[in-house]
Amino acid sequence: MSNDDVKLSRLVLSLGLISCFATGLMVWVFVITEAPISAAQQRKNTAALSQVLPAFDNQPTKEAVTLGGVTFYAARKGGQITGFAGETITTKGYAGEVNVLAGLKPDGTITTVLVTKQSETPGLGTVVAERVREKTLSGILAGKKETGLPPNPILDQFNGMKAEAGQTPWAVKKDGGSLDAITGATITSRAVGGAVFTIAEAFAQNKEQLLKENK
Amino acid sequence: MSLFKELTKGIIRENPTFVLMLGMCPTLAVTNNAVNGCSMGLATLFVLAGSNMVISLVRNVVPKKVRIPCYVVVIAAFVTVVDLLMQAYAPSAIYEALGIFIPLIVVNCIVLGRAEAFACKNGILASIADGIGMGIGFTLSLTVIGGIREFLSTGSLFQIKLIEGWTHSFMLMGQAPGGFILLGILLALINWNNSRKAKKEGRSWTPPGLDCRQCNLCDLGKK
Repeated sequence: MSNDDVKLSRLVLSLGLISCFATGLMVWVFVITEAPISAAQQRKNTAALSQVLPAFDNQPTKEAVTLGGVTFYAARKGGQITGFAGETITTKGYAGEVNVLAGLKPDGTITTVLVTKQSETPGLGTVVAERVREKTLSGILAGKKETGLPPNPILDQFNGMKAEAGQTPWAVKKDGGSLDAITGATITSRAVGGAVFTIAEAFAQNKEQLLKENK
Repeated sequence: MSLFKELTKGIIRENPTFVLMLGMCPTLAVTNNAVNGCSMGLATLFVLAGSNMVISLVRNVVPKKVRIPCYVVVIAAFVTVVDLLMQAYAPSAIYEALGIFIPLIVVNCIVLGRAEAFACKNGILASIADGIGMGIGFTLSLTVIGGIREFLSTGSLFQIKLIEGWTHSFMLMGQAPGGFILLGILLALINWNNSRKAKKEGRSWTPPGLDCRQCNLCDLGKK
């Protein structure tokens, strides 16, 4: 350790040099992880899409349309539209943006809801957003493998719901609506409910265009 | 002290969570299950080892007046590296669960505490050993707390349900208050065990507290 009366230039120089090295390190790691991060994100997106869409043989990401703040992906089988997936980002979450992806039948009925990206409070807000497969000890010992989407009561309550254009938005019970919310995570529940409604309503408003445009 | 001793002291004798009482924020916040606790511990281990290494390298070059900003820059750089690597290679569920707590390792007092108390006074190998040892101690205590809380709140361990059909979740243990309660119980057990041992050996023993004797950050307590 050096004594207390060092020159100002030395203070500035040492801190500056260390900052330069630190920046260099971060730039290097950023460059080498840029591709894997976007690949991981991409993998997650396509995985999420195939979870909410019915069986398809086209590439939904290639024919994405953005209408009313919602990105719609069409699923087709043999050229026939079998369903849509709508994705939107809401900023009403408790901590940052929440990305919501919903699968819709061609008539606008919601089939599945997924939260694809969020940074909510671990243990509270994440309960609303996560679908976690529950493993049991005896299940593992028996070599049992479950497939399909793990259930989540908050996200599953939207299944079968449908919105009309210009309808009053759905609300959680605390706001006088009918949607269930997780205690301690009302803000996240409200944000997810709002986002699902946005998707359903945007679909109802642009239904004809979506069905026509994708022919 | 030998390198091996530097490595092992962090695990029990100077365990950062139960003895040094450092890094309480992540200890209480992310330990709602064993996997989160373990991955948070491993991320901290990497940052600790890296920052201890660099700080020990530059300890004779950096003037005392700007050492804290320098340490913070070094630590922040390593945390950014961990954050990017986790985004790229860790399972997305873990990265999402840890969320904000990864960037917060920057202000974790274990990392800055070891930089001030150890790395700036010791050689590079000893500092790396100290960082890894403290990291292992932190990982183990977080995994233990996380495992107990996960079992009590959902009846599972490492996300594997041990009691089939267990649906009554003891929510308190999964939330922050459960973390405080469990940490208090564990500390009481450790202190009780230590005082019992000391009585047997005829030594006098006082529990560790948040006073100068336990914290090695400055030289005041050593007089």
